[in-house]
Amino acid sequence: MKTLRAFFLRLMALFNRRRWEQDLADELESNLQFAIDDRVRSGMSPETARRDALLHYGLPDSIRESYRDRKSLPFIETAVGDIRYATRMLRQSRGFAVAAILSLALGIGANTAIFSLLNALILKSLPVERPDELVQVNMPGRSSIFTNPIWEALRDRQDVFSGVFAIGSSRFDLSRGGESRFVDGDWVSGAFFSTLGVKPVLGRTLAVSDDRRGCPALAVISYDFWQREFGGRSDVLEQPLSLDGHPFQILGVLSPGFYGIEVGRAPGVYTPLCAEVIVTGTGSSLDRRSHWWLRVFGRPRAGVLLQAAVARLQVVAPGIFRDTQPPNWRPEDLKEYVSRSFELQPASHGTSRFRDEYRTALYIMMAMVAVVLLIACANVANLLLARAANRAREMATRLALGSSRSRLVRQLLTECLLLSLAGSLLGALLAWSGAHAIMPLIAVDGRSPFLDLAIDARMLLFTMGVAVASTMLFGLAPAWRSSAVAPHTALKAGGRGMVQGHSRFTLGKSLVVAQIGLSLVLLVAAGLLLRSFNKLTTLNPGFDRDGIVLARVDLRGARQAPENRPALYRELLDRVRSVPGVTSASSSDITPVGDSMWNDEIRVDGFQPKSAKDSVVLFNQISDRYFETLGTPLLDGRDFNEHDTVQSPKVAIVNETFAARFFPGTRAIGRTYRVTGGPVPDPATEIIGIVKDTKYRNLREQPEPIAYVALSQESKLGPFFHLEVRSAVAPGQSVAALKAALAQLDPALSVTFVTLSAQLDSSLNRERILAVLSTFFGGLALLLATIGLYGVMAYSVERRRGEIGIRMALGAGKTKVLRMVLQEAAVLLVIGVLAGMAIAAATTRFVSTFLYGVDASDTATFTASAALLAAVTLIAGYLPARRAASQDPMSALREE
Amino acid sequence: MSEKADVWQGTLALMILKTLEALGPLHGYGIARRIEQTSGDELSVNYGTLYPSLLKLEQEGYISSEWGLSDNKRKAKFYSLTRTGRTQLEQEARQWEQTTAIIARFFAPAGDSK
Repeated sequence: MKTLRAFFLRLMALFNRRRWEQDLADELESNLQFAIDDRVRSGMSPETARRDALLHYGLPDSIRESYRDRKSLPFIETAVGDIRYATRMLRQSRGFAVAAILSLALGIGANTAIFSLLNALILKSLPVERPDELVQVNMPGRSSIFTNPIWEALRDRQDVFSGVFAIGSSRFDLSRGGESRFVDGDWVSGAFFSTLGVKPVLGRTLAVSDDRRGCPALAVISYDFWQREFGGRSDVLEQPLSLDGHPFQILGVLSPGFYGIEVGRAPGVYTPLCAEVIVTGTGSSLDRRSHWWLRVFGRPRAGVLLQAAVARLQVVAPGIFRDTQPPNWRPEDLKEYVSRSFELQPASHGTSRFRDEYRTALYIMMAMVAVVLLIACANVANLLLARAANRAREMATRLALGSSRSRLVRQLLTECLLLSLAGSLLGALLAWSGAHAIMPLIAVDGRSPFLDLAIDARMLLFTMGVAVASTMLFGLAPAWRSSAVAPHTALKAGGRGMVQGHSRFTLGKSLVVAQIGLSLVLLVAAGLLLRSFNKLTTLNPGFDRDGIVLARVDLRGARQAPENRPALYRELLDRVRSVPGVTSASSSDITPVGDSMWNDEIRVDGFQPKSAKDSVVLFNQISDRYFETLGTPLLDGRDFNEHDTVQSPKVAIVNETFAARFFPGTRAIGRTYRVTGGPVPDPATEIIGIVKDTKYRNLREQPEPIAYVALSQESKLGPFFHLEVRSAVAPGQSVAALKAALAQLDPALSVTFVTLSAQLDSSLNRERILAVLSTFFGGLALLLATIGLYGVMAYSVERRRGEIGIRMALGAGKTKVLRMVLQEAAVLLVIGVLAGMAIAAATTRFVSTFLYGVDASDTATFTASAALLAAVTLIAGYLPARRAASQDPMSALREE
Repeated sequence: MSEKADVWQGTLALMILKTLEALGPLHGYGIARRIEQTSGDELSVNYGTLYPSLLKLEQEGYISSEWGLSDNKRKAKFYSLTRTGRTQLEQEARQWEQTTAIIARFFAPAGDSK
């Protein structure tokens, strides 16, 4: 307790220094007087008395020193002094300070930006109560998606969770006809909010009693949705909410900061599972035993260990799967189904599609910005070394006056810390704008993520850590070197007589070599990624990229009976085809690279599959003129026509790969296949046409067998389908025309438009972001390395002025001098490039998953990067060389 | 050297407290003189060591200081014992006596039992 009191008093004493110094002086003076009086009384003369007293009790100056050490906190005082001095020194060398701070800001800023994305997407726990307790239920060896019957059985039979819930993602159309306006939503079971501990700010959240079959249409909305959609109005609970055309009552508004359990998604609406039947009607998934759409999360009871919980669940698993067997499955599939079980995995970070897609890319970017920071630190170190040469005298003088070496080092490190601090602050600003600029580029399914980039403790710790680490990196060596000055150099008359200069210079040279090497690594990576991206955007996907608009039609608003749908499809297609400007149009179930997939297993007479996958084929259901619209050549046979009806024999068009795999060496036209997915095989389907291979799921894929069946031969159609429209006018105009045409037909239809090229582009988002950012960081690294080389060359030339002057005086021509100086630069360049090549060759394999059409050791890219680096750095070396060669030899000699 | 200084600081603090208890409020010079006299002039007190000691005691709350007038009407800063100081002194004095008694036993001639 007393030490605390003492500390506090010492802290306070920092602030009223003048007062206690005066106080001490007065006290010492008064004590001195007493001492003098005593001595005079015993016979000394006043002057002798004074001197004797001072000798005996100590001189005021030295007393003040030891007094001050105890009175206040000397550590803080010297630190404050250091900071003051450092600020003054930095203000004097403004150019240097600006260059250093800028370099650091770029390096630290880039790191903080990427780290903030990493933090938000990968590291942060969910903003819920005690997130580390949450677990997710999945089936070992299979996915973590369940059907509703399984969920209900699990919910009722488990006894290991204090709270357990199921969640299914969805998207709702807020509009009532016309162009769709979507909001992300989640179907949640009753215990969702209570298990996560999420509280409302208005109204209430869902309770377990709200999630019973036959429940009313209730919804809980997020805080952001309340602000965005309802303007934050206080009577929101009385406002109408339409989800996919059905009215829902708003039960409550959630508190801000909760974004659901899927990172990157921020649902605006949460609706109870039981209300799913209201929106989907007869297509409801609540009792469907083979519709997989729910994830299950829970919080184990206090004191229940994970293994114990898993064991308990595995006890109830057989019963659950036995009682929820889907009808119409083949016996072997059913056998596999009832053998399934449960397992638990920690879920403190929730789930995230963005995370799964971008995790590796983010790590790669983190590595890149770390390299950029290293290069920036090397730059600052070099700047410091150059500056240190100018301060040799100052250091020597201070050493001669009695300062200890560690004190000098501490002083210099304070300067470095100030630079880092300024660099961090500026860098933080850059990072904030940078992260927000990058975020929209990270897209999945054409949607950008919502990431909570708010600064948290981890971010601050990271930034501080990076700043301090960089300071040590670039500051320690120069500071140590600077203070290694012999005190007698202060007495030397010559301005540049520095024996240590040479060894310091070698450090500077090695730093530049390192910078060049590291820049080359980044340039190579950037080159590889750029070329890959270019190949992906220019490859031939089997259809035309431009001039085609896609429309997704939602028929549910039209409230037509499902039997009428085929007629409705045809009518819409006819209407679209008659819109002026439209050269061709078709409809289909699935659009190219649209992130949708349908596959089935088929059987072909005479074909022996080597594995189960061999018989799996991709499918699409299309109208006539589909290939004409998309520009895919028909190689053999015919397209679908009006003779292909529900009653006529089933026909299909297949692609080259299909024909080659199942009918090698023969003509596939006229041959048949059967789909074998169900308990009874489908009727034989005859192949009537063969088309060129096209990309189906993504642009990178290898060709797979695709079979196209006719929409016109199907009587049971769903409420969603797509239109492909090739138009002679610009996309914007054609979209407007199409919108009008479709609205004319039925204003209750919901339609979304996207151009095919945009859809293809959005499938390449990850590659795009890597290409863009790696180029940016590569360019940054190149810039920093060039500045570094320029600085070192300029310094070298400065140092060798005398030598150059003598050579010129002795007859060396300008070109000779140029060559001499450039040689130095060239040596650094060559060593740097060789080192960089070696590192690049070893590390480029880490980006190989993102490459397309280029090898990780692509010689052309390596050579081109090295050439670019060489060209740029040689220019940087040329400038000071030219200056050296054009100087007047006499003035150089005179300076000696 | 610093270890010796710490021990010295510890005993110096004790001496200061005892002096203030015995003589009442006293100025810096008076404390120094008194310690010198009591030690039979064996110890010579330098303000460089005395003042940090006084500071520490004051910061820890064992003594307090106040400007006042000396006998001959001279302005001086007087130090006096606080109540916590008095208790601390008693505690330290007891500990000191215990320590010296134990040490003394080690140096007693063999055969002596106490």
